[in-house]
Amino acid sequence: MRAYKDLREFLSVLEQERQLLRIHDQIVPEPDIAAAACALTEIGEDSPAIYFDNIAGYTSARVAMNVHGSWCNHALALGMEKDAGMRDQFFEFVRRFQQYPGTLERVASAPWQEVVVDKDVNLYELLPLFRLNRGDGGYFIDKACTVSRDLDDWDNDNVENVGIYRLQVKGRNRLGIQTVPQHDIAIHMAHAEARGEDLPVAIALGNEPIITLMGATPLLYDQLEYKMAAVMQGAPYRVVKTAKGLDVPWGSEYVLEGRLLCGQRETEGPFGEFPGYYSGCHKYPVIEIDRVSHRTDPVYDAVYVGRPWTELDFLQAMTTSAPIFLQLKTTFPEVVAVNALYTHGLVVVVSTKIRYGGFAKYVGLRVLTTTHGLGYAKVVIVVDEKVDPFDLKQVMWAISVKVNPAGDIVTIPNLAENLLDPACSPAGMVTKMIIDATTPVAPDIRGDYGEELDKPLRTDQWRTKLMALAKEMRK
Amino acid sequence: MTATTADTVPAACPRCRSGKIEMRSKSPVVGIWTVFGCPTCLYVWRSTEPEENVNPDKYPAAFRLRPEDLPSLQVVPPIPPRRSSS
Repeated sequence: MRAYKDLREFLSVLEQERQLLRIHDQIVPEPDIAAAACALTEIGEDSPAIYFDNIAGYTSARVAMNVHGSWCNHALALGMEKDAGMRDQFFEFVRRFQQYPGTLERVASAPWQEVVVDKDVNLYELLPLFRLNRGDGGYFIDKACTVSRDLDDWDNDNVENVGIYRLQVKGRNRLGIQTVPQHDIAIHMAHAEARGEDLPVAIALGNEPIITLMGATPLLYDQLEYKMAAVMQGAPYRVVKTAKGLDVPWGSEYVLEGRLLCGQRETEGPFGEFPGYYSGCHKYPVIEIDRVSHRTDPVYDAVYVGRPWTELDFLQAMTTSAPIFLQLKTTFPEVVAVNALYTHGLVVVVSTKIRYGGFAKYVGLRVLTTTHGLGYAKVVIVVDEKVDPFDLKQVMWAISVKVNPAGDIVTIPNLAENLLDPACSPAGMVTKMIIDATTPVAPDIRGDYGEELDKPLRTDQWRTKLMALAKEMRK
Repeated sequence: MTATTADTVPAACPRCRSGKIEMRSKSPVVGIWTVFGCPTCLYVWRSTEPEENVNPDKYPAAFRLRPEDLPSLQVVPPIPPRRSSS
């Protein structure tokens, strides 16, 4: 476990671990930044972060991308060994998640207060913005934490919200924000609009890696992301209050303060989104920025979104799997692990012990009624406890031999689904499917399952010994 | 139509072809690029982008918008009614 004080400290750790590439050659914002970030997704499992410091037209811009973009980087973000496997990262993430809540450490000042611009704000000058995908309607800030409080419950820290929402820069000090009614900030906004007031927001950009993961985690409405970040990093989470009373990470590179405008909706999008498709255009809420603060020579942090897998899929991996797992486990203690890594959990793989025949289908159905499952979890695959849901070779074996479509496929038509899933018909509605890939047990007597193969004696000892020898050999 | 250059405000929005274009920003290093914005469809582009993003004739058909269609875009989330002051 490790508490990185800011993005810079994490970048220096990535560099020490040979997981950061610095590009000093001059680049143009479009298409170079997105193209390089996309290329990183194609060069292997251990792709590094990338850091540009010579961008045409800017005097001292610095852009970091792919900071969370491999399992190595994800493990280092969690303060684990960089070769920690997915399964180990899942169980460690879940273990820490259950320690909620941690504490806040409130301090009076932060490095992001070094430079303040509160007149003639021009985000196109202040931030090294760039287009990610050719059909995007403009330049999006897509990895910042937007902080808000509930005007009806202003002093309640637990309902303060820190979330990552896409922000389209539509004017010098004007942003569009994508919020759907399920988002916590949408509750804050609905209360503010019912009161006829603007909602103060602070946008923290360029953060240490844990709060970014927490901003992408579907926490309960009264769970504060900073308190979850504290247990994830094993130390109180350090924040500074803005003049309006919003808590912002001490280590942020930039802080944009402004107001979500009451009752206003404007054209937003399209934006290349997590399913690997453009989102289309909608009328979304609007934020006006009054003040920008930043560190000297700030680092702009962004996430490339393209056809999966990209860095975005790492941000939505354990952060999606852990809450589903813990909600399932409350109902069914037999559940062993949940893999919701694929496209924000549109596909979910669950391994579980089986109580009796037909049990796996109930586990699958329960996935659909978890809070995340309501809008995602279109295909649920249930496997036996001995099958590692993070090892797709094992999952495919289970589907290969344990599924008889005549009795193992359940489909439920016309369920609610995230609008961004292009398979929806109509938008927001979809048929969901459970694949029971577990071995039938009584009284489900289908199939002709005799004895399953197991491992020779001493395999585990040999594995430990051989892994050490192989590691030595490859040094 | 021709692509925009850093020095001239373009005649039309590449995406919706509206004729009213605003200059949003000049590059902090003088003379490298200019950012333009369309106040109609809110498209934003930089003069140095690939031609399909700056030239109305090269803008991909799949992403075009028509100004007359903008008012009917879906409003998300809906604007709630004001609470009555009591």
